[in-house]
Amino acid sequence: MKLYIHSVGIISAAGNNNADDFLATIPAQEVGAIWLCREPDYSHYIPTMQLRRMSKAVRMGIGASKIALQKAGIEKPDAFSVGTAYGCLQDTEVFLSKMVNQHEQMLTPTAFIQSTHNTVAGQIALLHGCNGHNLTFVHRGHSFEQAMINTALYLGEHPQHTVLVGGIDELTATADAVLQSFGKKHNAEGSSFFTVSNQPSPVCVNDITTLTTKDTASVAEAIAAMLQRNQWTMDDIDAVLVGVTGDATVDEAYELLSQLIFQQTPQLSFKNLCGDYPTATAFALGLLLECRYKGFPGECIINQAPKTIGKTMMVSNYDDFWSIWLVQCEG
Amino acid sequence: MHSKSYIVNTGIITAIGNNATVCLQSLQKGESGISYPSILKTHWQDTFPVGEVKMSNAELAAFTGIHEQLPRTALLSAIAVQEAWAPYRHEVGNLRVGFFSANTVGGMDLTEAVYDAVKNGVVKEHHAQLKYHECGAVTEAVRRHFQLDGFCTTLSTACSSSANSIMMAAQMIEQDLLDVAIAGGADALSRFTLNGFNTLMILDKQPCRPFDQERQGLNLGEGAGYVLLMNERAMKQYQVTPICTVSGYANANDAYHQTASSPEGIGNKLAMSHALHKSGLQPQQIDYINLHGTGTANNDSSEGKAIEVLFDGQIPAASSTKAFTGHTLGAAAGVEAVFSTWAIREGIIFPNLRWQHAMEDISWQPVTSLRTQQPVRHVLSNSFGFGGNCSTLIFSKT
Repeated sequence: MKLYIHSVGIISAAGNNNADDFLATIPAQEVGAIWLCREPDYSHYIPTMQLRRMSKAVRMGIGASKIALQKAGIEKPDAFSVGTAYGCLQDTEVFLSKMVNQHEQMLTPTAFIQSTHNTVAGQIALLHGCNGHNLTFVHRGHSFEQAMINTALYLGEHPQHTVLVGGIDELTATADAVLQSFGKKHNAEGSSFFTVSNQPSPVCVNDITTLTTKDTASVAEAIAAMLQRNQWTMDDIDAVLVGVTGDATVDEAYELLSQLIFQQTPQLSFKNLCGDYPTATAFALGLLLECRYKGFPGECIINQAPKTIGKTMMVSNYDDFWSIWLVQCEG
Repeated sequence: MHSKSYIVNTGIITAIGNNATVCLQSLQKGESGISYPSILKTHWQDTFPVGEVKMSNAELAAFTGIHEQLPRTALLSAIAVQEAWAPYRHEVGNLRVGFFSANTVGGMDLTEAVYDAVKNGVVKEHHAQLKYHECGAVTEAVRRHFQLDGFCTTLSTACSSSANSIMMAAQMIEQDLLDVAIAGGADALSRFTLNGFNTLMILDKQPCRPFDQERQGLNLGEGAGYVLLMNERAMKQYQVTPICTVSGYANANDAYHQTASSPEGIGNKLAMSHALHKSGLQPQQIDYINLHGTGTANNDSSEGKAIEVLFDGQIPAASSTKAFTGHTLGAAAGVEAVFSTWAIREGIIFPNLRWQHAMEDISWQPVTSLRTQQPVRHVLSNSFGFGGNCSTLIFSKT
């Protein structure tokens, strides 16, 4: 796998990457705070008439994809691959509430139409008039990873094409209440889209491993196997982005991984910027693109600041869904 | 390409049968599974007929021993996965096995039952129902039951979902990333989808009539359909002979409207022509088209016109099997991939039930009675959905 990343568009709790204040305001850290996106003024990206009809998930998806396409100077990508664990929660809830309250009567179609999981990918295709390959992955904490893996399969068959790849999840008050009741803290939302192709660029995803486990030792084994397969050693690695959340029950796995594998390597957190949601690795990859030159915000540095950002590893989880990424950045 | 992807087995449950044998018999006898719902409790109980599997969740769970508190979609999925996978699951050895599933509303049947209470703050008491809300949670429950520990994914592209799971599975076998894949999808009826489709005014109050001039819409259905794919290495290890290959596939987007197809079927045409290109086949080599054929005015017209243009006067035998099963949404392409596989294995072409009147805007008609002893070598199966998602799979005799 060699997936070259050309640009990223990020809409997150820490702002969007087309704005000067991106990462300038870090969301409140107290437990129980909902981390909603600091959304841009979409009128730069989306015609007002259309914007009015869009749910938050759709506008966050289109906004981030527009930023990514603008930065890459691409009008029309050839294909789309989107990951979203929860899909369009807001519209799902609107329709569900009315259905329950009105006892299945006098319902209108708009919310239902926009509730399907492929709405974001479909709307982006519609807006750009793109007839190409268009998939949506909905496999919990691996949704974005699988959108990337599918992109590699697609580019294998269409080596000249550019794919718009995204990870998006929206949060509603109900979803937050449910997640909190399951013990999940720092619940958030976000949208990060990338232009990806086989044509060399300074940032390349070399490999992605996904595994579903409660056992941190198997994550460590997977990291070791992955390094060996790619002929990398920990000594080669300039930085590890880790999915710590500030919640001790989550972070204990990372402490063990650090002891076993990357204690000597500079470690950086990212969920302190974007919060926790199933497709947060898309934000992490975007952050890497944004910060590889200008440096990461000080509050992301866990043990030591990386000297350079060249060979990079990302290790993250959402519940039992772990992913490990090897990303090569060039100067 | 390292190896073609071969289909060696199928697993299915729909309104016309709980397994492959019964479904095939129903197709051969022309017995439809459309009736008023008795398991699904809805305001529209006596209004909209559906393709319902007439078994309670407890009865469905008993087939596989999976937990009966799971979403109904998981229970249906497990039955079809078991049928496809059971003969092979104990001798996996070093083979890399992937599980590719698809659905459209995950555990919505459980969520919709408790949503009101959850909204009113009664959350913890409903953890058992809420835990499986996500589409991926349904797949995960089935994966765990069968201890499928390899690559596992869930796709959701509305009514074309399981075509895309089969497509991705075939790609991963061809690119030597897997040896074996169980691929397809599942969806159970829910009040959410029934009411959603009702707001679009595309539900027929009678049993549906795909490709008929008088058609009034679709009937929703439920079920699950999976194909078992293998590469040459796996087939050798299991000493199994294939039924057919997945010779072509493509996914395109109509980019016309969130829920409606373009009148000329732009996405439909692209999906079919790209799949033909991938398979290396000419249109006239296709022996049978399993139509998407939902029975809505819009779909059948767009699909019909796209076929007319692409097959240019030489339209192969074509039928929609949705008059048997209803439109099973995320399961539809999996169910119809199974039917397509049987068309090749048995040399049969299924009838498009209840067809009476030729459509005025297309020049061809579907097959209306069962054809047997047909030389069916190449089958093309269409699946189109909301969001402009259009997918075509092609199956070829080995």
